[in-house]
Amino acid sequence: MGVSYLAVGWNRQKKIYDWFIFAFCVLYLSTFIAITAISNPDYTFETALIRSTATLAILLLHVILSIGPLTRINKKFLPLLYNRRHLGVTMFTIALIHGSFSILQFHALGNVNPFVSLFTANTQYNSVSKFPFQALGFFALVIFFLMAITSHDFWLHTLSPKIWKTLHLFVYLAYFLVIMHVMLGVVQYETNPVLFVMVLAGAAALITLHLVAGTREVRKDNQLFKLKSEGFVYVCESRDVPDNCAKIFCIDKERIALFRFEDKLYAIHNVCKHQGGPLGEGQIIDGCITCPWHGYQYLPQNGQSPLPFKEKVNTYHVKVAGSQVWLNPQPLPEGTERPGAAIIIPDNQIIENVK
Amino acid sequence: MSNNDFYIGWMPKAPGSFARHTKKVIIALLILAVTVGVLLATAQKKFSTGQFEFGRLTNITGVYFKEPVPAIKVMSGKDLLGRASYITIPLIGYGKFGAGGIILDLEKEKHLDLVKKEITLKGTLLYNDGKLLMQIDAADDPLVSVNKAAGENILPLQKELGEQTILGEIVDPKCFFGVMKPGEGKPHKDCAIRCISGGIPPVLKVINNEGEANYYLLMGAQGEKMNQAVKEFVAAPVAVKAKVVKYDDWVILYVTDKKSISPVSARQLIKPGSQTIGCIAPCLK
Repeated sequence: MGVSYLAVGWNRQKKIYDWFIFAFCVLYLSTFIAITAISNPDYTFETALIRSTATLAILLLHVILSIGPLTRINKKFLPLLYNRRHLGVTMFTIALIHGSFSILQFHALGNVNPFVSLFTANTQYNSVSKFPFQALGFFALVIFFLMAITSHDFWLHTLSPKIWKTLHLFVYLAYFLVIMHVMLGVVQYETNPVLFVMVLAGAAALITLHLVAGTREVRKDNQLFKLKSEGFVYVCESRDVPDNCAKIFCIDKERIALFRFEDKLYAIHNVCKHQGGPLGEGQIIDGCITCPWHGYQYLPQNGQSPLPFKEKVNTYHVKVAGSQVWLNPQPLPEGTERPGAAIIIPDNQIIENVK
Repeated sequence: MSNNDFYIGWMPKAPGSFARHTKKVIIALLILAVTVGVLLATAQKKFSTGQFEFGRLTNITGVYFKEPVPAIKVMSGKDLLGRASYITIPLIGYGKFGAGGIILDLEKEKHLDLVKKEITLKGTLLYNDGKLLMQIDAADDPLVSVNKAAGENILPLQKELGEQTILGEIVDPKCFFGVMKPGEGKPHKDCAIRCISGGIPPVLKVINNEGEANYYLLMGAQGEKMNQAVKEFVAAPVAVKAKVVKYDDWVILYVTDKKSISPVSARQLIKPGSQTIGCIAPCLK
């Protein structure tokens, strides 16, 4: 978010996050390789490396894909989301080690180029059981590569948030390719069902998490607003909106965050310009609406990021009639200044506040 | 949620409730890492006992034969009747190549025909399950010496075992007998195809109903290479109908044509301890 790009500041939280990723990877790799060596004296290090990196990358991919829905279900998972890109780049690096060693081992030193061999050694593309599963892993790796190299915010701004987000949604295609890579490859070789069961359990857990989080979103989106007047829709009572926080409404497919700040109500588009975070789940910090995902900020009265930043979101008309709050779901151009709708505070509440 | 309970990643510290929750999540993930690592590592199929003496060169003296596959026949001692016994060591090249090209180059370079001559070769040994192979690499100057022409008594003892239909899996012997683990099955399929395409002679791995493994070299009906023809059948269960000929300590399957190889269900292959019969041939050892 800004007019110039600076090196990422490794603050305390980032350092803790990266140390945790490092510890997680080292712990997994050393456990897998040590157990392999102990239980298989005839093991080869290349195979242990290929297998340990493969399974670690898949484990990390499951963690990465769980973080999104988990934060939708419980905000306490937000610290895992903030630096999720570090986890993604780590996962790609581990997958790259797996892919590179596999191509080297299975395709190098042959009579054709290893990358040609990858697609032409086994040509039984018309068979499910004999399908060249390595090609699936390769395409998944290409997607992870594109995601890793565009993970910095520079690319988010260069490509535009929409294209960036679309590109990064390909992670689900990559996940499917990875699962098929495993099912059509090593699962056909192993006789112990542990790997098969774990892959299925992982997929089931991810699907469940996404369904639970998605159902909550859909429920919010399907909320019906019956009272309408001159383009305005009655949404709630003014006391329902907590101070410095927001309530989210989806009216005519328009997601709107209604914030209360200094006893006035402001409505802005709920979707953060950065990565589409839910602004309405954020708070007002230092007078700015702050996105819960990555801390991007907007002024409540005009939906603009404080200078020198340039992000802008739509604003909406709000009016307060007695204790009722009415919203006009017709978006105003991004960054349009709107005065807040003053909340009429009952006398007894003022007395309570003074006390 | 109070203001103090709002998490922002760019702040130096997370609020207490978030920090406490994150610590629990971190501990859970570390336990998950160890658990998954242990489960997956212990669930792996046992690695084969094959050995590839990588980086170690050995000199072996024996008689070179070009047919049915490039190999040297080495005297390994005497049997109970005091007769000389021999072991046939198929030769393979560096990387995913057969040894034929290297031997041809050596013959051209030395202006010699090495067939049926006693030679000393320097190479890397690989072995498993009673089979020994040798990798020769042009970079190692593999031809140490050419000693003399061998006598007729060294010629391979051939015994025809008739036509048989045998169930098994086609593997490339270089990877299977030591270079890779696993050197068989679907994960290794592409590599096996590449090795066989490069001239390494295909081998049919057969498990008999006692659970013992037998290995048969695959050739065309006239002794020609079957490498290209078997590519599509590699690393999957197949039935091979062939004329079976025993050459000393190796058995050769002379396959009439590609139609004599057909895919079969994995269930038709023997599983040690079960009653399934994978090898129809009664005694091919």
